[in-house]
Amino acid sequence: MYNKNKLAPAFFIGPHIILFVVFILIPSLYGIYASFTQWNLVSDPVWVGLDNYRTILFNKESSFSSEFYNGMKNTLIFVGISVPVMIILPLLIAVSLEHKDLRMKNVFQSIVYIPGLISISAATLLWSLIFNRQLGVVNNLFGSDTVWASTQPYAWITIFVITTWAGIGGNMIIYRASINGVSKDLYESAEIDGAGKIRKFFNITLPSIRFPLIYTMVMTTAGSFNVFAQPLMMTQGGPGQSTTVLMMYIRDLAFSHGESIAGIASAMAVMLGLVILVVSALQFYLMSRNAS
Amino acid sequence: MFKKINISKYLAYLFLIVVCLIWIIPLIFGIATSFRSQTEVVSTGFRLLPVNWVIENYAAVLSDTSTAPILRWIWNSIFISTTHTFLVLVVISVTAYGYSRMKFKGRDVLFFTLLGISFFPNVVNLIPSYKIIDTLGWVNTPWAMIVPGLAGMGNIFLVRQFMKGIPKDLDESARIDGASDFKIYYKIILPMIKPVLIVCALFSFTGSWNDFLWPVIVYTDVEKMPVTAGLLLLQDVYGNYSMIGQLMGSALLAVIPTMLLFFFAQKYFVQSLDLSSGIKG
Repeated sequence: MYNKNKLAPAFFIGPHIILFVVFILIPSLYGIYASFTQWNLVSDPVWVGLDNYRTILFNKESSFSSEFYNGMKNTLIFVGISVPVMIILPLLIAVSLEHKDLRMKNVFQSIVYIPGLISISAATLLWSLIFNRQLGVVNNLFGSDTVWASTQPYAWITIFVITTWAGIGGNMIIYRASINGVSKDLYESAEIDGAGKIRKFFNITLPSIRFPLIYTMVMTTAGSFNVFAQPLMMTQGGPGQSTTVLMMYIRDLAFSHGESIAGIASAMAVMLGLVILVVSALQFYLMSRNAS
Repeated sequence: MFKKINISKYLAYLFLIVVCLIWIIPLIFGIATSFRSQTEVVSTGFRLLPVNWVIENYAAVLSDTSTAPILRWIWNSIFISTTHTFLVLVVISVTAYGYSRMKFKGRDVLFFTLLGISFFPNVVNLIPSYKIIDTLGWVNTPWAMIVPGLAGMGNIFLVRQFMKGIPKDLDESARIDGASDFKIYYKIILPMIKPVLIVCALFSFTGSWNDFLWPVIVYTDVEKMPVTAGLLLLQDVYGNYSMIGQLMGSALLAVIPTMLLFFFAQKYFVQSLDLSSGIKG
C-alpha cells in the first residue's frame, strides 16, 4: 500500500525545494562567491580573492572603506538604540494591558498595532510632515524652529520615532499572547506570599516568557541590521552621511546608475551578514544561559 | 490594599492613553492635512483639523496619471499581494503536508537542514537574487515580487507544527479506504488547518504589501511598480510645501487596502494571539 507510490513525497515537497534552491540556496552561495570577485552584474565575475575585503577593511584611502565603516557604524548605532526600545516598550504596553480591571483593551491594542499595517514609505511620508519645520505638529506644538531631518541628533531621533511607531505592534502581540499563557496559579501563590506587582513581573512574568523574549530579541535585532527605508526617506542619509546605513551603500554600489560595483557590495553584504550571525548567536547563547 | 490596586490601574490607563495619543495623532493629522486646501496647508500655526474640508487634493492626485499613477500602483500592489498570498497558501500547505504526514527517508534531516540554511542572513543573497530575477526576465514584472518569497521556511515551520497536532488516525483510516495522499491533503487536512492558514495569509499579504527594499531595486518602470516604491517617487514629485496635501492624500490612499483587510479580519488577528502562544517557553 505505502510503497505503491514511492515518489509521492517528491510531488509534495519537490516544488518548494526547487523554489528554495533557486531563490535562497543558489543566491546565498553566489553572494559569498561574488564577494571574492570583481563583478558589474552584467559580465561574468572575475575572481580577485580577498581583494574586496582588503579594500573595504584596510585600504584607508579608498572611498569604499570609509563608506563601509561609516555605514557599519551608523547601522550599529541604529541597532543599539532601536532594539532595546522595540523590546521594552511593547513589553510595558503588553503588561499594562494585562491589568485585570482595564477596559477597552482591544481598542488600545489596535491603535498600537495599526501603524504596523502602514507601509514604511507611507509612514515616513506621514512623519516627515509631522517633523516638517514650518507645517509640522512637533515644531508648532513646542514653538521650536528645528530643521529635524538635517540637524543631528534630531535626524536620528526622527528615524527612531518612526521606527518605534511603526514597529512595536508585532512584538506587543507576541508578548500579550505569551503573558496570557502564563499559569494564573503562579500569580495567585505569589500573591499569597505577599509579592507586589513589580516582584511578580520580575519573578514570574519575565522568566515565564523567556523564550518569546529571546525570539523577539533575535528577530528584531536581525531585522534592524537591514534598516533602509527610514533613513532613505526621512533624512536621505544626512546630514553629511551621518545616518547613511550600510544597506544604503550596498544598494547604491550594486544598483545605482553607472557601472555596478556588485563585487564590493557583496563583500559588504557578507560582512553585514557575518555581524548579524555573530550577534544572533551571542544573543541566543547569553539569553538561554542566563535563563536556565 | 484596595487603594494600591487602583493606583496601578490608573497608572496603566495613563501610560496606555499617552502611548495611544502619540500613536494616533500623526494619523489624524495626516488624514486632516489631506483634506486641507493648499492655502491652508501653507498657512502657519497648528490646527489638528482643517477649517474647511476639501477634496481637491484627492482630485489632483487621482487625475495625475502620468507622473504619479497612484491607482495603477495600488492595483499593482493588490495584484501582487493577492497572487503572492494565494500561492503562499498552496505551497506551504502542500509542503507542510509532505514534511509532517508523509513518511520518507531523511525527512526530518532534510527539513531542519533547509530551516537552518534559511536562517542565514538574507542580505547576502540580495544581489544574486536580482541577477536571477533579471535572468528569468522578471525585472519590472509582478513575478519579481510574487515568486521569490514562496521559498521561505518560516510559514512552513508554523503549518508543519500545526499539522503534527492533528491525530494520525484520521488519515490512516482514509488511507485504508484507498484514498490517495492528494485526496487526504485536500479533503481532510486542508479544512482542518484553516486557522493557521488565515494567519499566514494575513502576514503574507501585509508583508508583501509593505515590502520596500526589494521593489525599489527591481522596479524602474513607473507603471509597473507597487505602491510602496511609488510613494518614494512621490516624495520628489510632491515634495514642496504646496503639495503636501497631495502627498498625504496619496499616502492615505495607499493605506486603505491593508486597513480594510485588518478591519474585516480583526477576529483572526485575535486568533493569531492563540496561535503564536505556541512559541511560549
